[in-house]
This record gives sequence, C-alpha cells and structure tokens, in this order.
Amino acid sequence: MTFPCSARFCALGLAALALGLGAPAQADGDVTCNAGPQSGWAKMSKLKKKAWLEEWKLLKMQVEGDCYEVYARTKEGQSIEAFFHPVTLKKLVVFRRGQEIYRAEGFTG
Amino acid sequence: MKGSRRVLLWLVLALPAGLMVGRFVSGEALAMDLYHPSGEMSVRLMVLALLPGPLADVFGPNRFLRAWLAIRRNLGVAAFGYAALHLAIYALDMQQLSAMLAELPIPGIWTGWLALLTMAIPAAISFDAAMRRLGRRWKTLQRLVYPAALLSLVHWLLLDWAWGPALIHLAPLVIAWLLRFTIRRGRFVSRSIA
Repeated sequence: MTFPCSARFCALGLAALALGLGAPAQADGDVTCNAGPQSGWAKMSKLKKKAWLEEWKLLKMQVEGDCYEVYARTKEGQSIEAFFHPVTLKKLVVFRRGQEIYRAEGFTG
Repeated sequence: MKGSRRVLLWLVLALPAGLMVGRFVSGEALAMDLYHPSGEMSVRLMVLALLPGPLADVFGPNRFLRAWLAIRRNLGVAAFGYAALHLAIYALDMQQLSAMLAELPIPGIWTGWLALLTMAIPAAISFDAAMRRLGRRWKTLQRLVYPAALLSLVHWLLLDWAWGPALIHLAPLVIAWLLRFTIRRGRFVSRSIA
C-alpha cells in the first residue's frame, strides 16, 4: 500500500481531520412546543423576568426547535435547563443534568 | 517518535483546547458552552486510540497503520487531557464544590466521574518506564480504556438523550471490532504489533 504523503504525517492529518469534524451537538431531548410561526412569538427578553421570579440566575437564553430554552442556576446552585412556550411564555419542562425535574400539567411535547 | 515530530503532534492535539480556552477567556463562550466540544474531543481521541489495533489485525501492518499505532499512546493521553479539561470546565460552570457534590447521585454525572477515573489509570502509566516495569500487566491495564469509552458514551446519552451523535462515535469501533472478529475466525493474524 502506498500513500501520497509520508505515513506518519498522513496519520497526523487524519487525526486532525477527525478532530475537526462534526459540530458539537446541543443538549435538549427533543422538546416540541407546537408554537406556530415565529411572528406570533413573544419577545425572548421577557423570559428574564420569568427567571427572576423563579429566583434563577440566568446564564443563557436561546431558541431550541420551536421552544424558548433557558439555561440557569437555581438559588440552591443547581444547574438547570428550562423550556418555555414562545407564545404564552409558560414554563413547560425543566431538566437538571438530563433528569426531568418539572413538567407542566398536561404538557406532552 | 522523534522529538520534533512529537512536539508537532502535541501542538496539533492541543490546538482545539487552546481555541476553547481562548473562547472562554474572551467571553465568547460560557463554561457551559464548552462541555460538548471538550467531552466530544475526549471521546474522539479515545476512538482514534482504539481503532488502529483492530485495523492492523484486519489489514496487516502497513506503513499507515504502523504510524497510527506509533502515536496511539499520545492519542490516549490526550483523550485523558481533554477529559480533565472537561472536568475543569464543569468546575468553572458549577462554581461551588457543594453544588458539584450535590449532583453526584445523578446518573449522568457519576458515570462521567467514573469514566474519568477509569481513564486516569491507563493515562497515568503511559510513559515508557511504567510500560517496562509492568510488563504484561501494562496491556491489561490499558484495556481499561474500553470501559472508560463505554462509560463516556453512557454519560453523554444520560445527559442529552440524543442517540445519534454518541452512536456515530461508537460506530467506527463496532465496525473495526466486527471486522477483527470475522477475519480472525478465518485465519491467524499476528498480533505482534497490535
């Protein structure tokens, strides 16, 4: 078997290629909110007050699928991920390190 | 491996870590944003360290696989390095030791700790003197990387509940192992270099 490059550098290149491939996936768990078109959504910044009312320290807010997702720390220091409905801004489901710790009554998404 | 080449290899291996640290220091990324890049890099390096053995069994020792085998120990140590970085990022994200300890009973968390501890053993004996002194036991202890890799994948699955990315990382190993298993059944293949 022959290679166009020196074998050792070829292996190095392959390793570099493998390291660079694949954008890191984000945590979610495929939550769907059935939120309809984005034009009808409430402003994401309104979640700041929601988080404040929960006594969370807000780390990050983003759109995840058709949900609003909030990364925060509770006042006990727990690291959590919460999903909110983008139209009603209702808290739908909360995860702590992959474990569901809250789910709104009747929410199945 | 020659000194200069080893330096080059480690520069390549350290590059993603440097970028991660840079993004964090500049404020572009939060600690929590670096969980995935650091953890996935560790898993990828483990996979890269585990692949050349079975492939050399299947295809025989060619120059390419020999070169890959020659850097295998470096890949393994780097995998542990990224796992340690992953832990440092965890500490930065949680900020309090008490909060970290409070999470310990969560399956997604303790599987990560156990994976790191399991990796620490083969990583700690990766230098030449340990290899000579441990003799045959060295290989046995290095095999701890298999449970470490599996624990890492379980850790990942329990936190994300997304099967795709974790299984994509496992797939090359499964294919290489299946090839090794089927080929070896047919004929004897020397394992002297693998």
